[in-house]
Amino acid sequence: MPSDQDLSADVVIVGSGVAGSSIANELARAGISVIVLEAGPRVDRQHFVENFRNLENKPSYQGPFPAVPWARHPPDQVTPNDYLHTTGPDAEAYQQVYLRMMGGTTWHWAGCAWRYLPSDFELKTRYGQGRDWALKYDDLEPFYYQAEVMMGVCGPDPAREDLGSPRRQPYPMEALPISYAAQQFRKLISEKTPYRVVHEPQARNTRPYDNRPTCEGHNNCMPICPIGAMYNGSYSVYHAEAAGAKFVPNAVVYRIERDSANKRVTAVHYYDPDKGSHRVTGKYFVIAAHCIETAKLMLVSADEQSPAGIANSSGHVGRNMMDHTGVQVSFISGDKALWPGRGPLETNVIDNFRDGDWRNERGAYLVHMVDDNQVDLATQLAISKGYVGRELEEQIRYLASHTVRLFSHNEGLADPENRLTLSATHKDMLGIPHPEVYYKLPEYTVKSCEHTRGLFRDLIGLMHGTDEQWTPGYFPQDHPAGSTIMGTDPKDSVVDGFCRTHDHENLFIASSSVFSSVGTGNITLTVAALALRVADTLKKELAHA
Amino acid sequence: MAADRPCFPTSIHLSTPNAARMNRALRMSRRDMLLGAMGAAALTMGAGRGTAATTPADDDAGVAQFMALSQRLTDRDALDPRIGHALYAGIVRATPQRHDQIQKLHDLMGGSTFGSARELARAAEKADPAFKDLIHEIMTGWYRGVADQKVVVYRSALMFDITKDAIYPKTYAAGGPFYWTRTPPEVALPKGEPALSPSKFVVEPT
Repeated sequence: MPSDQDLSADVVIVGSGVAGSSIANELARAGISVIVLEAGPRVDRQHFVENFRNLENKPSYQGPFPAVPWARHPPDQVTPNDYLHTTGPDAEAYQQVYLRMMGGTTWHWAGCAWRYLPSDFELKTRYGQGRDWALKYDDLEPFYYQAEVMMGVCGPDPAREDLGSPRRQPYPMEALPISYAAQQFRKLISEKTPYRVVHEPQARNTRPYDNRPTCEGHNNCMPICPIGAMYNGSYSVYHAEAAGAKFVPNAVVYRIERDSANKRVTAVHYYDPDKGSHRVTGKYFVIAAHCIETAKLMLVSADEQSPAGIANSSGHVGRNMMDHTGVQVSFISGDKALWPGRGPLETNVIDNFRDGDWRNERGAYLVHMVDDNQVDLATQLAISKGYVGRELEEQIRYLASHTVRLFSHNEGLADPENRLTLSATHKDMLGIPHPEVYYKLPEYTVKSCEHTRGLFRDLIGLMHGTDEQWTPGYFPQDHPAGSTIMGTDPKDSVVDGFCRTHDHENLFIASSSVFSSVGTGNITLTVAALALRVADTLKKELAHA
Repeated sequence: MAADRPCFPTSIHLSTPNAARMNRALRMSRRDMLLGAMGAAALTMGAGRGTAATTPADDDAGVAQFMALSQRLTDRDALDPRIGHALYAGIVRATPQRHDQIQKLHDLMGGSTFGSARELARAAEKADPAFKDLIHEIMTGWYRGVADQKVVVYRSALMFDITKDAIYPKTYAAGGPFYWTRTPPEVALPKGEPALSPSKFVVEPT
């Protein structure tokens, strides 16, 4: 057995989320040796489920996933934050949460598996806003399908419900039967507005798939699916391990070593929880450590050869921070009982504002009708209104069956001023600085959010709503992107269209950090598709090596 | 420069949220730091002297009063005494003054005939506005299953008992495949009035 000091593989991957683990799986199945270094621990699903059940603040998505001190992640979306320090005029709107755990942040995603629209990749060309990607939709289409098969995505028949992203194959799984609440919402929108509600593509089983069961509607996709009917990164970890990939938990990478020419990465160095340092060598390296931690690692690794950080000759590492910063409202419908919360959490979307000529001046958006069990919130609300006894019980039933929650994903825009840097005031126990992000919401996104608020007010009126509770300001959607932005010009971008860094020929980045624009759909499927394309490139290059 | 403290067991992530809440390493809110400090002080004081004289759970008279109040305030004849024990312990542990307040509210209840939860709650707030917080805690305990900001019961909380014809507690669905397409029961607009003055509603952070 080689000692830790001698760890070496063809491909070394930093991060075990959906991006890192899916690359590891593809490569290991092709007979390529792979080591994946994960900063956080390995924890089993049932432990997270137990944590959730014992958590007082049930809506806390981070609650069931306490961080380890050597791999901190944000404890919540509260500003000021213990870990992700946000500043600037819209600091609170960038209070993202994510997980540093084996399997990554998809432990608490909702399975929303959107493809981006062709126009999302050409925002500058088509609308004169933001930036274009260094690839087109068609380049990614085969990898979108590969990602959908990997995750097990259910979706509508494109002949009946075209979601705007051309497909060569149908969805791997048939559509999900929608809940009564969603049926009523869909009917209302269809009959009373010019808009439509579509079936959201979801990485959720509508039949047994990949040795995982059919969804039973536990309504807990976020923060934790109790039965694994929804895909998350841990399944790619298990598959990759079965194929021979080696995963190392509690391995906090802090340095990226290069050759004397500064052209090739030669090793990465990681700390174990006792701050013992280990060196891992390889032929290729992939940083797949989430948008925020990836940029942080590139900056932390600054040295004499690269004083501004790794792969940062453009100065764009950490810049262009984007999100789907949105708007959220809850209200009590005056119409018939809906009883949201029967079935999966997010299945229905108004998609009319994902694209249009107006994108030359305001950002696109989509709207989720969140099918969330409202019993606990209704109980808290009814108690605060002063009800007791029999009247309290009546109120709980009424509020739980009539509460409607809407939120939006509004399109951010790459702005170099929105920037991640290393905290000058906070370090973790290993001496690694916490991340800090300056954020000012682009005017483009502000206009989009205003439009959404107008739509929400119309919908509240249509549903005879009362007791509106608007989330103050803007709502961070935990879809950070842009921190190692993709482009054709090495002067103003970090990676090329294949996610290879311009500066280092054997260093790739697999993360939403490479996004040049952020569109409206949840980012995970695009992260996975890009990652699978990285795996494809690596397989070809290693075959010719 | 503020650095995180480096003295934790590697299994710390296996703590439950209730344990994590008490652990300054994992969640360093001011409240938790205060609780942690108080807990440490209590441990020091108790060292070598055996267990403390009376814990709230051993306070049979207090529990009996709490159960009687709870039955009236929920308009229910039967409540689970084991849950009641745990709720009482949590409420008194979080706020020691509640011990005496429960006794006083029980005395107030015994001094007249109250035909409903609403009548008792109204009279209580009129007699002493401080009873309102206690009544909120009793309601939160039984209906949400929470006391002292901790989960005492989840699936067995009354909020799920009164909605079980329509919906399942999260993670406990048992309706069979695609049960959610079926039409749930209609719910009429309630006519009942609140008993207490309204309080500010604060949504917990996500």
